[in-house]
Amino acid sequence: MSAIMNQFRPQTGAAAAASGAGAWQALPDPVRSVVLRLLALALLCLVLSVASDAFLTSANILNVLRQAALLFLLASGLTLVILTAGLDLSVGANVAMSACLAATVMKATGSITLAVFVGLACGLAIGVANGILITLIRIPPFIATYGMLWILHGITYWFMRGETIHGFPAAFRALGSGHWLGVPIPVYLMVVFLVVGAVFAQRTRWGQEIYAVGANPEAARLSGVPVKSRLVLVYAVSGAMAGLASLIFLARLNSAEGDIGEAMTLPAIAAVLIGGTSLFGVVGSVFGTLVGALILTLVLNGMNLLAINANWQPVVTGVIVVMAVYLDNLTRKGDGR
Amino acid sequence: MKMKTMARVALAAAATCAALPCFANGERIAVFTKNQTNPFFQAVRLGAESAAKQMNARVTHYVPTKPDSIPEQMSQVEDVIIKKPDAIVFTPVDYKAMVPAVAKINGAKIPVVNVTDRSESGNFVAFVGASDYRLGLETARHLIKSLGGQGNLVAIEGVKGSLTSIDRMRGFNDAVKEAPGVKVLASQPGNYQRLQALQVMENLMQSHPKIDGVFAANDAMAGGVVEALDAANRKANVVGINGTKEAIDAIKAGKMLATGDYNGFMQGCLSTMSAVRSLRKQPVQKDIVFPATVIDKSNYQRWETPVESRTCPTWEEAVK
Repeated sequence: MSAIMNQFRPQTGAAAAASGAGAWQALPDPVRSVVLRLLALALLCLVLSVASDAFLTSANILNVLRQAALLFLLASGLTLVILTAGLDLSVGANVAMSACLAATVMKATGSITLAVFVGLACGLAIGVANGILITLIRIPPFIATYGMLWILHGITYWFMRGETIHGFPAAFRALGSGHWLGVPIPVYLMVVFLVVGAVFAQRTRWGQEIYAVGANPEAARLSGVPVKSRLVLVYAVSGAMAGLASLIFLARLNSAEGDIGEAMTLPAIAAVLIGGTSLFGVVGSVFGTLVGALILTLVLNGMNLLAINANWQPVVTGVIVVMAVYLDNLTRKGDGR
Repeated sequence: MKMKTMARVALAAAATCAALPCFANGERIAVFTKNQTNPFFQAVRLGAESAAKQMNARVTHYVPTKPDSIPEQMSQVEDVIIKKPDAIVFTPVDYKAMVPAVAKINGAKIPVVNVTDRSESGNFVAFVGASDYRLGLETARHLIKSLGGQGNLVAIEGVKGSLTSIDRMRGFNDAVKEAPGVKVLASQPGNYQRLQALQVMENLMQSHPKIDGVFAANDAMAGGVVEALDAANRKANVVGINGTKEAIDAIKAGKMLATGDYNGFMQGCLSTMSAVRSLRKQPVQKDIVFPATVIDKSNYQRWETPVESRTCPTWEEAVK
């Protein structure tokens, strides 16, 4: 059991001591993958700071971090799902439904606490439903969550009837647009969930069992991992994170409509992939996903600062996804996936 | 015997026609709109229902479950042709891609009224809509006038390549050409999405310390822009398009300058009335294009009645 899990644990001690080409080769794959991504991120920052005076300012750095927060929260839960070789296509639709429900409750009752509870509970419930479809009814994750996407969109459109709900209490909106010590609140949330996510995945038994399920569910089962309940757990976490993202969305935008989730799922998946998590499971980390979310956000930020014709933005995103996976294939010593 | 029955039927039919106009009741009208997510099309649907109620017709709505889905609307058209409604009121999800669907409706000899987005071709009883170009032009002119013809503008475009965004931006650009004192700092797409517009505006504020006016190609994006400005404690005159309730509230609160009205409810009224009138052999107008109305602080009261409680004017009032 512990032998299975140890091989997924990045050996960070080795990373600190590493220098020179030989040491680079000696680094474990996960560490090299993250270092490469950090280098790419640094290069992107360097190019942008040369190209635009406005880029390397504390205001813009905080701006980029705040924008990346929503994407990261959504993508961090998704990372756990993808580590099990699963997929959650319903995260965007989940955000839309959770946001609309929470908004309705806040408007009707005036209670922030109740609305926050409803938003999180809705997200979590959808995640658990996905987990049950996948484990008990044995629908493949792609199909189960794809079906869920349609069901959620349909219910949300019907429920909202094309209306927009807007205007929430200032105390609630501080969650999205407030600052503490000059730093936007969503950035703190991002840091908290980065630490919690990374520690959970790398340092807890449950986290390591998730990697083990992704490596080989049958072997994991034989070594005593409760595969089904770990799968339900990752989809539940992904759903709950979508619920949290929906609250940040409401607090930042001060309004909700039925179609807000449509444009969110694919960027979240892209952030996970750019971050180095493999669609085949096992390989990847929550920290990598943070780097992925930052790279995606920087692309938009840079295009806006430089007033580049934004037709190119999706093209650039696509190229980055393909390049990120290609780089991993080149540098990975293992089985090449 | 047979002759007698036939005569009786003919007589009965004649009597009905004499008492009421022929086809007077319960015409079945199939109404096609683009999605369930945009409040504008909800207004069109409510307008169609109000018109149907006024004229004693019945409407059935067909809306793609995936917003603006071309294949879905195509199959809905095929299904509806089999059901053979008396007339169709049709917004193509795409003005080019749905031309074959219009050809099928024409081929089935079902009279069809084109509403909102003008189809590239096809035989229509009438077209009812508003001009996106005029909306863009008038709303942008209003924005520039509010700044005294001077200042820095940014524009947030809709979905690249969509007809509405292309026309609205053409109107915006023409208004800018008329004002030599105005400078456009950037024109970037927000894809009609609130979150994207918010982020684009946050980014633009980083590189442009002075933005005086913002033109957003719809109200949802204007809402995102207002939130971005608020969070950064900055002020700019913001205009949107569609005349949504949210925009009216923002104008009332002094957060938005104006919104161009797309008249969705009236489009629903007049398109459905045109369909019913043509069935009843009453005259219709071939082309009804609403003038662009800009809603601002001076006139927003007229739009405050919620769409649900509005009723269509009579045909004579509407077309006078």
